[in-house]
Amino acid sequence: MSITINTTINGKTVSASAEASTSLLEFLRDTLEFKGTKLCCNTGECGACTVIYNGKPINSCVTLAADANGAEITTIEGLADGDKLHPVQQAFIDTGAVQCGYCTPGYIMSVKALLDRTKKPTQTDIEEAVSGNICRCTGYAKIVDAIQLAAEKL
Amino acid sequence: MDYFEPKTINEALALLAKHGAEAKVIAGGTDVMVDIKYKEEPGCLINIKKIPGLGAIQENGAGLRIGPLVTLRELETNKLVRDKLPVLWEASHQFASLQIRNTATIGGNICRASPSGETLTPLLVLDAKAKIAFTDGEKTEPFASFFQGPGKSSVGSKGLLTEITVPYPAAGSKSVYLKHAVRGAMDIAMVGVAVLITPDAAKNSLQDVRIGLGAVAPTPLRATKTEALLRGKPLTAALLKEAAAMAASESSPISDQRSSAEYRRWIVEALTRRGLEQTWKAATGKEVA
Repeated sequence: MSITINTTINGKTVSASAEASTSLLEFLRDTLEFKGTKLCCNTGECGACTVIYNGKPINSCVTLAADANGAEITTIEGLADGDKLHPVQQAFIDTGAVQCGYCTPGYIMSVKALLDRTKKPTQTDIEEAVSGNICRCTGYAKIVDAIQLAAEKL
Repeated sequence: MDYFEPKTINEALALLAKHGAEAKVIAGGTDVMVDIKYKEEPGCLINIKKIPGLGAIQENGAGLRIGPLVTLRELETNKLVRDKLPVLWEASHQFASLQIRNTATIGGNICRASPSGETLTPLLVLDAKAKIAFTDGEKTEPFASFFQGPGKSSVGSKGLLTEITVPYPAAGSKSVYLKHAVRGAMDIAMVGVAVLITPDAAKNSLQDVRIGLGAVAPTPLRATKTEALLRGKPLTAALLKEAAAMAASESSPISDQRSSAEYRRWIVEALTRRGLEQTWKAATGKEVA
């Protein structure tokens, strides 16, 4: 059964149809072509698909696309202002917190949500905020550096 | 797959009556979406998130009424939960990632009826009750008899969990939720143990003891024999040892990829001992002698 989903993505209203069983991740990537949000574990464990849903970071892979109806969603594509990267994106580059890069959009969305709710995050806040994001390359130290740098710049 | 967003409890119940076993209720979706992708797509999905009035935490006399749509994050960040039901707060704080806590609901955790469900042993030791709506009326069921097996509960395929009522523990009570997992909150518990004790007025003995065991039987359960052994007595080192061993014998764990049954029994013993020790000290100011 196909349903119509009216939602706001990165500040723009969008209306599209999808099968009722579609996840928000599939809706974003396959229906709306927002390919920045990544598909990885598809079970809500790795955080690569993290988007901000009504101000909160969530795993889009285990969220029903139908729940996007009437919601405001921010994806990685919504962060940069033209050619100017968001401070969190720039901080990941400046500290070298990226290797293969596949987990990076998810991390950046978790960190954006963290810095939206806390201007001066503690080490515990940082660890909690990204505990649902898995990176298999970096060993995490540089990611924490990036988060601290982003917090200083914001 | 058919899809419905009922706006009232009665509408949801009528859909459940009509579609029966092929219908699946969805709220946060963190379990159901994984089933849809990796197991089986249900014939019909009933999304209950649009039903108003199911997402609040309210103080009601000497306890809290918790709506089934309350997310784990809402539970974790609620001051009343933190102050009055710390054992439930501890479990919600150790519940998967922030992303999952922002989406997963307490009702979903309960109705999933997984033996390892993080909030379930705290609800058991708090003597909480479930309010379940059916087409022919409502019933209130203590969690002590709510769980019937993995994935099976009194809600069945026709009912809808509409409220969780949690009485505040008696004054002077102390509680703890101990989770044994390799990767902290992100992991499913190998064993979860919730302990709640109430000392007598003189703080010399255990007036009440409640021990909940998770992930070590087909359902989360109360270690009732161990509780009976302890009730009315001062917590001595010898009694503590006997009680911890008894709690392990009340569990009936399986071996799986997370751990062996034998290891789980050892952990039940260790966590029961630790939980009793900690709460005894917190409640009486005394070490176990």
